Amino acid sequence: MKIRSFILFFPVLSVVVLSVLVKEHAAKAASPQAAAAPAAASIAPPASSAAATLTIPDTTLAINSAQPMSQRVVHYEIDAKYDAAKHTVDATETLTYRNLTGVVLDHFPFHLYQNAFQPNSTWVREAKVAGSRDIAYDKWESKEYGSEEIKSVEVVGQGDLTSQLRYIQPDDGNKDDKTVVDLPVRQPIPPGAYVQFKIAFHDQMPETQARSGWKRDFMLGGQWFPKVGVWWHGAWNCHQYHATTEFFADFGVYDVKLTVPQFEVVGASGVKVGEVNNSDNTKTLTYHGDDIHDFAWTVSPRYKVKEDGVYQGLMGPVQMRILMQPAHWSQVDRHEKILRESLEQFESRYGPYPYKTITLVDPEPDSAAGGMEYPTFITGDSSWFMPEGLHMPEIVVEHEFGHQYWYGMVATNEFEDAWMDEGINSYSEVKVLDAILGKRTSGINMLGATLGEREIQRLMYASVADLDPIAEKAYDYYSFNSYGGITYGKTASVLLTLEGIMGEETMDRAMRAYFMKYRFTHPTKEDFLKTIEEVSGKDLRWYFNQAVYGSQVMDYKLLKVESFPVNWYEEKKGMFQKDDKDTVYRSYVWAQRKGDFVMPVDVEIKFENGEKVREHWDGASRWTKFVYEKKSKVESAELDPDHKIQIDRNDFNNSFKVEPDGKPAFKLTNYWLFATQWLAQAMAWWAV
Amino acid sequence: MAEHQGLISSGWGRVVHNKRYIVWFYILNLALAWFGAAAFSNQAHDYLDHSLQAERLANGFDVGVLIEMFMRPEFGPVHPATASGLHFALAFFFLTALFLPGVLQGYASTYRLPRADFFRACGRNLWRFIRLLIIAGIVMGAVAVALFSAQGALVKAAEESTNEVLPFELRMLCLLVIFLVMTALRIWFDLAQADVVLSDQNAVRKSIGLGLRHAWRNLGRLLGSYVVATIVALIILSLGLWSWLRLVPPASVLGAFVVTQLTLLLLLIPRFWQRGVAVSYYLQNMVAPISVHPVAPAPVVEPVTPVVISNPPAQPQPS
Repeated sequence: MKIRSFILFFPVLSVVVLSVLVKEHAAKAASPQAAAAPAAASIAPPASSAAATLTIPDTTLAINSAQPMSQRVVHYEIDAKYDAAKHTVDATETLTYRNLTGVVLDHFPFHLYQNAFQPNSTWVREAKVAGSRDIAYDKWESKEYGSEEIKSVEVVGQGDLTSQLRYIQPDDGNKDDKTVVDLPVRQPIPPGAYVQFKIAFHDQMPETQARSGWKRDFMLGGQWFPKVGVWWHGAWNCHQYHATTEFFADFGVYDVKLTVPQFEVVGASGVKVGEVNNSDNTKTLTYHGDDIHDFAWTVSPRYKVKEDGVYQGLMGPVQMRILMQPAHWSQVDRHEKILRESLEQFESRYGPYPYKTITLVDPEPDSAAGGMEYPTFITGDSSWFMPEGLHMPEIVVEHEFGHQYWYGMVATNEFEDAWMDEGINSYSEVKVLDAILGKRTSGINMLGATLGEREIQRLMYASVADLDPIAEKAYDYYSFNSYGGITYGKTASVLLTLEGIMGEETMDRAMRAYFMKYRFTHPTKEDFLKTIEEVSGKDLRWYFNQAVYGSQVMDYKLLKVESFPVNWYEEKKGMFQKDDKDTVYRSYVWAQRKGDFVMPVDVEIKFENGEKVREHWDGASRWTKFVYEKKSKVESAELDPDHKIQIDRNDFNNSFKVEPDGKPAFKLTNYWLFATQWLAQAMAWWAV
Repeated sequence: MAEHQGLISSGWGRVVHNKRYIVWFYILNLALAWFGAAAFSNQAHDYLDHSLQAERLANGFDVGVLIEMFMRPEFGPVHPATASGLHFALAFFFLTALFLPGVLQGYASTYRLPRADFFRACGRNLWRFIRLLIIAGIVMGAVAVALFSAQGALVKAAEESTNEVLPFELRMLCLLVIFLVMTALRIWFDLAQADVVLSDQNAVRKSIGLGLRHAWRNLGRLLGSYVVATIVALIILSLGLWSWLRLVPPASVLGAFVVTQLTLLLLLIPRFWQRGVAVSYYLQNMVAPISVHPVAPAPVVEPVTPVVISNPPAQPQPS
C-alpha cells in the first residue's frame, strides 16, 4: 500500500515541482527584458489559435549581420498616406507584440506623442512655465496644434476594442493630457505569447515643435505612430510626454509604407526596399528596419541628395545618404566628412555600427527639426552662411550620430535617465571632436578666437550647477535650462573628471565594455556605474554619490599666498636695502574648499627660483595650508595643475600669481575702449 | 561732374586745412571713452591680474574663458560698466554738437580761425543747434522708425518663402535704401546747420526750409559726395579690423591699441569731410547775392585853367 501510494504520489509531486520551477525561470529571464541570446522561439503556447501563427521576423535585411542583434519584442507594419496640403497622415498599423515579460499582460499602454501639442497638454503647460527647446508659447497659434487619434483598434482574435481605450496620466494626473492611452484586452496575454493589434490612426501634424512636424513644404515625421510602452522592472513604463523628456521603446522590426506626392524627396529610417508610382500622382515607398526601436521620415520637394558615399564599417558597408537644403549644398562635403569621421571614431572607441544605412537630413531653416536622432536617421542644423571656422554643423552631426550608440543601440530610458543618452553622448562628443577638430578649437576657430567642446559643456553645467542632480528624472528638473545644463553639460564634465581620476585608457576600456555589454538592451544607471567600477577596479561610490546622485557643487579656491623673510624682525641698514641671495623665506599657501563637493586635488606651488613642489590635498577639511622655508619666494600656486577636473565651478580662483599680470585685463579693456569710441562716433555721425 | 568733383575736393581741402579739428575731436573721443571704460577696466584687473586662467585670454583668445568671466558673480555685474560707456558716448555726442559751429565757421573762413572766434561761434549757436538737433531728431527718428518697420514687415513676409537667402538679401537691400534716405536727411540738416552758423541765422526754421530746398534740388550731387565719404569710412574700418586681426600678434596689447586708435582717428575724417562738402556747397550756392544799385554818373566839370594874377603895370598920376 505504501509503495503504491509512493508510485502515485511521486510523479504528481514531480509535475508540481517542475511547473513551479518553469514559472520561476520564465519570470527571472524576462524581468527586465534582458539581452538574452537572440532567435529564441516562443516559450509558451499562444492564447488563441489566431495568435498561434504570429511571430516577429528574424530578418537581417537592414543590418550587416547574419543574425538579429536584439531580442525583438515588436514588429510594426505601418501603411501611411501623407497629405502635404493638410499636413495630415492617415495610416493603418499592425503591431505584433511578443510577451517576454514573464507575467500575464491584461492591458497595453500606447504613446500618442503628437497629442502633446495642444494647449492644455502636460507638454505645453510645462514648456510655458519652465521653457522648452523651441517655443515659448507666449500665445497659441492654430498651426501649433497637433494630434494623434486612434480611429479604431482591433486585437486579433479578440475583436474591436476601440471603445475600451482610455487616456491615462500616470505622471501628473492632468486629465487634459492625451499622450498615453491604455487598452485593456479581453483575454490576457500569457508569458511568451504574441498579440497583434490592428490600429487605424490619423495624425494632424503641427508646425514643427520638438523636432517633429512641418514647416513651409518640409515635413519631419517623428513620434507619429501609436507606440506601445516598455515593460520594465516588473511594470509598464509608459510616461506622458513632457517638455523635457524624450522616448523609450522596445527593439524590433519595422516595415513602413509611405505614400507621398510624387514631387517629394523622401528620407527615412532603415533601408528602402521598394518604390511604386501610383496613378494619383503619389508614390509609395517601402522601408524596412531591423533591430531598431523607432522610425522617422521626412519629405521636402527641395532636398538635394548625395547618396554615393559608402563607409566601410567593421561589420560591413554603410550607405551614407545626405539630404541637404539647396542653399546649403556647398556644405555637403563638410557634412559627409564629419559623418564619416564620426563613424570611424565611434567604431574604434566603442564597437561596430551594424546598420546598412545612415541618413543625415539637413532640415528646413527656422524649423524646430534640427539636431535630432532617430535610429539610422539624424537631423543636422546649419545655415546658408556657415564659415569653416564655426563648427556648428560638425558639432550637431557628430552629436546626433553619437546617439546611434547612446540611445539607438544602448537604449536607455530617456524619461527617467536622460543623462545616460544625452550626457554620455556629450562626453563622447568631447572626446570625438577633440580628436577630429582639436581640443581648444572644436567649437570655434576663426578670427583669432577659439572655443573647445569641453569648455562648452562645462559652461552649460556651471550656469545651473546647484539646481538638480544628474540622476533626476527628466520631467522633474527645475527648468528646461537646468535639464539641458545638467543632463548634457554636467554629465560630460563628470565623466571627463572621472577620466582624470581613472586614467584615459581605463575610461576608454570601461566605455567600450559598457557599450558591448549593454547594446540592444535597456540598461539602468547602476548598470553603467557598476561597469565603470568593475573595469577600473576602484570603489568610486564616493564620487558617484556626489556627482551623479547628489547636487553637490565643486569649487576649490586658492585663498592666499604669502612669503616673507624669516628674519623679518632684523633692522635693515637702509630703506631700500634688498634681501640678499641667502635670505630664507617662510612661505604660506592657503587653499579652500568653497563648495560642498569633496574631492582630492593636487596643488602645485612654483617658486621664483624655478622650483616646483606638488602637494596632494584630500579636500576633507574646509581649508588647508602649506608652509615652506626656502631661499626663494613663492611665485604662483595652482589647484589641479593638470586640469583633470572639469566640474570645478570657477576656474579663475584655482590659481594665484603673486605678481599681478595686467596684460589680459589691458587686452579686454582695449576691446571695451574701441567699442565705446566707435559707438560714440556712430552716434555723432548720424545725430549731429 | 566737375561741379561734383569740386564739392568732394573742395570739402576735402577744408578738412586738410583744418586738420587740428579732427585731432581735437579724436582726443575728446579717446578721453571720454577712457573714462567710460574705467569701470570695466577696474573690474577686469581685480579679477584677472592674479589668475593663471587669464593667460588663455592674453595668448590667443579663448571665448570660453571670456564667457566664464562674465558669468562669475565675483566679476560683478556688467551693466554699470556698460552704462558708464554709454554715458560717455552720449557726452561725446553732445560735445560734438556744441563744438560743431566752430568747426563750420573754421571751414568757411579763408584764414586760420582764432580760438576766440571758434568758441564765440560755438557759444553763439548753442541754442540754435539744440533746436536744430531736436527737429532733426524728430524728423529722422520718425522716418527711421517707418523705414525699419517696413523692412521688418518685408523680411517677415520673405521668411515664408522657400528661398532661405531671400530674407537676408531683402534686409540688405532695405538697409541700403534706409542708408540713402537717412543720408539725404543728414544732408538736409547739415546744410541747415551751415546756414545757421554762416548766415548767423537765428530763425532756425528758415535755415531748415532753405536746407530742404537746396538738398532736394541738388540731391544727386550732394548724395554722391556723401556716399563717397561713407565708402571711404567703410574701407578705413575694414582695413583697420583686418590689420588688427591679421597683423597684430594676439599677445600684443600695445600693437592692438595702436592699430585700433589709428583706425578710430582716421574714421573721424569722412564725417568731417561731409561737413566740408556741406560748407563748400553753402558758399557756392546758398550765400545770398549782394545787390548792386545803379549809380547816377557825376556831372562833368570842365577843368578850370588856373589864372595867374600878377601885379598890374603902374599908371601915370595927373599934375
